[in-house]
Amino acid sequence: MSVSADWSWPRVALAGARDALRLPAWIVGLGLIGIGSLARDVGYPVDVAVLSTILVWAGPSQVLFFASIAAGAAWSAIAIAVGFASLRFLPMTMAIMPLLRRPGQSVWLQIWLAHYVAVTAWTEGLRRLPGIPPHQRAVYFLGFANTCMVVSSIGTFSGYYLLGALPTPLAAGLLCLTPIFFLVSLTAGLRHVADVVAVGLGLALAPICERFIGGGFDLIVSGLMAGSIAFLIGRRRKAAT
Amino acid sequence: MTQPIAMLDGPLWPYLALVLFAFLPTEIWRWLAVGFARGLDADSPLLEWVRMVATALLAGIVAKLIVSPPGVLAAAPLLVRVAAIAAAATVMALTRRRMMLAVVTGEVVLVGGVWLFGG
Repeated sequence: MSVSADWSWPRVALAGARDALRLPAWIVGLGLIGIGSLARDVGYPVDVAVLSTILVWAGPSQVLFFASIAAGAAWSAIAIAVGFASLRFLPMTMAIMPLLRRPGQSVWLQIWLAHYVAVTAWTEGLRRLPGIPPHQRAVYFLGFANTCMVVSSIGTFSGYYLLGALPTPLAAGLLCLTPIFFLVSLTAGLRHVADVVAVGLGLALAPICERFIGGGFDLIVSGLMAGSIAFLIGRRRKAAT
Repeated sequence: MTQPIAMLDGPLWPYLALVLFAFLPTEIWRWLAVGFARGLDADSPLLEWVRMVATALLAGIVAKLIVSPPGVLAAAPLLVRVAAIAAAATVMALTRRRMMLAVVTGEVVLVGGVWLFGG
C-alpha cells in the first residue's frame, strides 16, 4: 500500500499494520510457534516464552537460548553463542537506520525503532521504506513491526500448549518455517547480482566454516567473507558500467 | 539441562536468565548500531558493504538451521530439509517472487518428506 504525504499518523500506522497482516506477520507468528514448545521442553513458564519473543525478537537467538539450556550448556557459553548469532543485527540495524532517521529525532526513539530490527522488519523495511515519505517512515515501521510482534506473541503462546500435541511432521514443519521464511524474505529483496552472490555464498560458506572454525566464530567469519566478496563484485560491476 | 546459578536462583530465575543471557547479548548490537549509524549516509559504500555482510549472515543462519536443526526438525532427514529450502527458492525464482506460494511449497515438501521418510 502506498502512503501519501498528507496522511495523519494513525492512518500511516494502520497502513503499516495492514501491510504486515498481508503475509509477513502471519509467517513470523507461525515461525515463532516453535519457541513456545522449546521453552516448555526446559520447564520455563509460558510468560518467559512470550517475553522472549517480545524482548529478544530474534528467532535464532531464542532457539539457541532454549535449546542450549536443554543441552546443558554453561550460562557463559549460552550468552556468547547468542551474542555471536545476533551480531548480524549490528550491520542490519546500521543499514536500515539511515532510512528511518530524521533530523531532530531523539536517540530513544531510534533505540526503540532499532529494537524491531529482525529479518522480517529488515527485509520488508529495506524494500518498502524508500517509497514512503521520510517523515512518516518511523510511524509506518512501528505499525508494521508491532503488528508482527503481537501476532508472534500469540503464536509463541499457542505453541507452548499446542506443539507437543502435534504429529511430528507438522511440528517439524513449524520449526522449518524460520529458515524457509528467512530465505524467501532474502530472495524477495534481491536487486543486483551482488545480492545474489551474498545470499548464495552465505548459504554455502556457513556450513563449511561451521566445520573448520569453532568457538562460535564460524557464522561471523562466513558472513564477513561472503559479504565482502559480494560487495567487491558489486563495486566492479558498477565501475564497469 | 542447565541449572540456575545458585546465588540467583528463585521463582524469578527464568526471567533473569532470559534478560541476562538472551535479551542483552542480542539487544546490545542493535544499540551499538544506532550509535555507529549516526552520520552515515544511506548510499555510502561502507553501508553497502555492511548490508552485504548482513545479507550473507542471514543466509548463513538459514544454512546452519538446515544443517544442524533444532528440536523436532531433526526428525526430517537432511535431504528433505535441503529439498524444502531448494523448493522454496525455486518457486521464488520462477514466479516473480510470490512469497506465500514459495513458503507453502517449501513447507509441503518438508511435511510430506517427514511423513514419508521421517523417523
